[in-house]
Amino acid sequence: MISLGQLGSASLLLALALTLYAALAGIVGARRRDARLLTSARLAAVAVFLAVTAAMAVMEAALLADDFSVSYVAEHSRIASPLWVKVVTLWAALEGSLLLWAWLLAGYTALLATTAPNTALRPWALAVMQLVLVFFIGVSALAASPFEVLAAVPLDGPGPNALLQNHWMMAVHPVLLYLGFTGLTVPFAFAMAALITKRPGSDWMSQTRRWTLTGWGFLSAGIVAGGWWSYEVLGWGGFWAWDPVENVSFLPWLTATAFIHSVQVQERRRMLKAWNAFLVTLTFALSILGTFLIRSGILSSVHAFGDGPVGPVFLGFFLLVLVVAFGLIALRWDQIRDRAEVDSVVSREGGFLAGNVLFLAMAFAVLLGTIFPLLVEAVSGAKVTVGAPFFDQVTVPLWLALFALMGIGPLLPWRRAEAQSVNRNLRWLAAGAVVAAALAFGFGMRRVYPLVTVALAGYNLTSLALLIVGAVAPRARLTRRSGASAFASYALENRRRFGSMVVHLGVIVIAVGVMAASAYRIDEQVRIDYGSSVPFRDIELRAVAPFAEQTPRRASLGAEIEVWRAGRRVTTLRPRVNNFGTSQNVASPDVLYRPLSDIYLNIASSVDPEQNFVVLRVVQSPLVAWIWIGGVIVVLGTGYALSPKRGRAGRDRTPEGAAEA
Amino acid sequence: MIRVAVVLGVSALLGSLFLFGLLRGRPDRDIPSNLLGRELPTFTMPLYERYQAGYGPEFAIDDHSSKPQVINFWASWCVPCYTEAPELEEAWRNHGDQVLFVGIQTQDPSRRAEGRAFLEQFDLSFPNGFDDDSAIAVSFGLFGVPETFFVRADGTLAHRHTGPVTAALLEEMIAELQP
Amino acid sequence: MVRLAAPAVVIALLIGLLAALAAAQEGVPLELETQVFEIGRKLRCPACTAESVADSNAQIAIRMRQEIQELLAEGRTETEIIAHFQNIYGDFVLLEPPKRGLLLWVWLLPLAVAALGVGLLVLYLRRWTRAASAPIEASEAELARVREALSDELPPGGTT
Repeated sequence: MISLGQLGSASLLLALALTLYAALAGIVGARRRDARLLTSARLAAVAVFLAVTAAMAVMEAALLADDFSVSYVAEHSRIASPLWVKVVTLWAALEGSLLLWAWLLAGYTALLATTAPNTALRPWALAVMQLVLVFFIGVSALAASPFEVLAAVPLDGPGPNALLQNHWMMAVHPVLLYLGFTGLTVPFAFAMAALITKRPGSDWMSQTRRWTLTGWGFLSAGIVAGGWWSYEVLGWGGFWAWDPVENVSFLPWLTATAFIHSVQVQERRRMLKAWNAFLVTLTFALSILGTFLIRSGILSSVHAFGDGPVGPVFLGFFLLVLVVAFGLIALRWDQIRDRAEVDSVVSREGGFLAGNVLFLAMAFAVLLGTIFPLLVEAVSGAKVTVGAPFFDQVTVPLWLALFALMGIGPLLPWRRAEAQSVNRNLRWLAAGAVVAAALAFGFGMRRVYPLVTVALAGYNLTSLALLIVGAVAPRARLTRRSGASAFASYALENRRRFGSMVVHLGVIVIAVGVMAASAYRIDEQVRIDYGSSVPFRDIELRAVAPFAEQTPRRASLGAEIEVWRAGRRVTTLRPRVNNFGTSQNVASPDVLYRPLSDIYLNIASSVDPEQNFVVLRVVQSPLVAWIWIGGVIVVLGTGYALSPKRGRAGRDRTPEGAAEA
Repeated sequence: MIRVAVVLGVSALLGSLFLFGLLRGRPDRDIPSNLLGRELPTFTMPLYERYQAGYGPEFAIDDHSSKPQVINFWASWCVPCYTEAPELEEAWRNHGDQVLFVGIQTQDPSRRAEGRAFLEQFDLSFPNGFDDDSAIAVSFGLFGVPETFFVRADGTLAHRHTGPVTAALLEEMIAELQP
Repeated sequence: MVRLAAPAVVIALLIGLLAALAAAQEGVPLELETQVFEIGRKLRCPACTAESVADSNAQIAIRMRQEIQELLAEGRTETEIIAHFQNIYGDFVLLEPPKRGLLLWVWLLPLAVAALGVGLLVLYLRRWTRAASAPIEASEAELARVREALSDELPPGGTT
């Protein structure tokens, strides 16, 4: 009888053979214009997906059946884990996470093969996707196989990293991130196809617009979800630490965000073709760089997968991508560069171009700060640190500049803005900024960056209001309808444009949340005797009793803490320290979520049931919840922009729909 | 062609940087001590029972400042500490008249039973005490265990070794510490 | 490999481990003010990978937080406290890289690149606006036809 390990290995080898065939058949078919070969390549794409799906299914089966003859299960799973932990253990460590990546990429490729319209670009784009898949499936099957069959089968395993099994977000966050990274492979593949076939027009972009936005939406959701996971699990009350692993997920997001804005210039004005191809290639290259840096362990990170054997393999692939993809752009540069014309700097395209510069400057600063310790060590041998204060100081001014641009940009018309209307808009925006800043000042805010942030939030809200009034008021007048119904029809008909406004609203909410939670954060460590209480800002913390909990999976020690406010008990929080049977104790904070300021309690060191007091770290981060709410708004806006319009053929031809999201 | 050259150049630079990273292995190893050549802080610590007859319950480094010192930080959970313990004891037996050896259990608070078992396993005869609140560790600029500080008779730091010490290193350093 | 008979044994051991760690905390100052954590966020925990003194629960980080609290109580400023730890541990503990030596470049290069970006933007925009405003060759007859067409179609007061 064959074991699950052998079955999984066989599935992966089959997938590898199929993806090699699909790539070759696609390339040969495209060169010879052989329709049968191309059809075969597309069918092979579906077969690749099915084969990787089989490998995924085998891995899940092995995890659920506690089959410790499979190396990955033996190293990362544990009998006592509950069902959901076993399911998500698949992506809790290096080998499994690569398998998930390969599976999602194979899924996108199969979807593309079956649904993408038959264009000149499709065969080459599919071939590029398959070549990327060859790498990921190849690594999974050969270099870092999760399916090694163990000769000596252990009776139980250690279980996944304790930090990962401490929160259900682990089931969601990596999948979202990987859906983002793999989704952004699609526009890259089409850009490569356009360069290979020397069709550098805008076809590759219009064919991938929805894929790009989908990938971007997942990546954004993944990053915000990661922030919430940190907040809930890591016990220090923060959401972003500028850790290298966080940074490398943020880098492709920055360039992808530049890209989804910049492509609109190409759609509308037929310029920046070369630049956009460069941006999407950069996005892809950065996502590969990220997987290399995370999985090679060469940077000092809390979240790194450790120094696995795949470092050199990933470095090779990253360099290959750099040389081939950017080399192709360099070779084709003279054909794809455009005779750009800009009527006026003060125009929508001018705004997008300035945004490009800011996004790229930020990406450069973050990348530099992330790899700088390595650079210094290579040059001088010294060991240095580049930490959060650096990233904060360098990126905050760039964020504020982008934030200012986000308000005025969408109000500028294409080609040329009339001085009169720009001035009128600017006066409104300035008024919004002044009102917001005055309000904040009235509430006691005195520091410069927070005041500027609030002012820019007011300015941006005014901008959204101007955009909506500017679009809806003439409609209502012309059609003699009420404002509400005119607004509804505007929002329904201009999904991309309206969706982008919703996304921008989410960004405003996030920006205010990040500002308040970082600038006005309070951390204290307090000691409370059981039975007595300690005042903390507007509340009182009352320690009731210590508690111990035991389940087959974990042992916990914690303290029951009542939160009192104005003489009434608001809630009872139960911060604790968990142990999942490894040498690692994991603090598990408990949070009282409030719209204006959370109360975040964490056991400061440990709880001793014999002691008559508990030591707590109390964190109060104002408006931190706005970050998660803003994240949800961004995702909803992206989803709305992607939602198909009902009952209108050729929607992409309508001028507004095509040009202004 | 200039553009292609730029692409190749940037790739080569990044490639060699990351290759350096892969060859170097994990980061944050062997960070040089900032106290090298400088006078180390003095400290006192409680000793384990077996050393109290010879050195009293509270050990003060000041009382022994006429001799060079080898100060070793260890923990009962630290695997390399078990490798180096016999080497330390051997060197102490050979050179105890010229150099003072001190062992400090740190990052291992209140684990007396484990500490005693460690000391008994290797029959360590040089004074060993514990640093429950890591105060000595921080004043010495400790990064982890094991670390060994080689201190001249004038109290200045001659060398700091991270990871388990070897007999050869101990011999070499003890010779160097002699006036 | 031996399979432990009853999970209860494991649990008992774990509780023991947790309690032992708890007992270890005696003598640690129990109350820390906000500023301790603010300073701690600027220092790297020497015993950890990529965590700050404020965030880590390693013994050394706990001790450093305690020292920060004590130094604050003595009336030392943030700069003095950070210098104190830098004196012991070197530049490695500074999460904010000092603006000197090789580390100066990590501050200068982003500025330089941002300036270069803005410079290139201005340069290209100039070139492109000039291209756009270049005169278009057209005969008088063509122009007349365009004028006629425009006067027919342009609605009054239309913008953009």
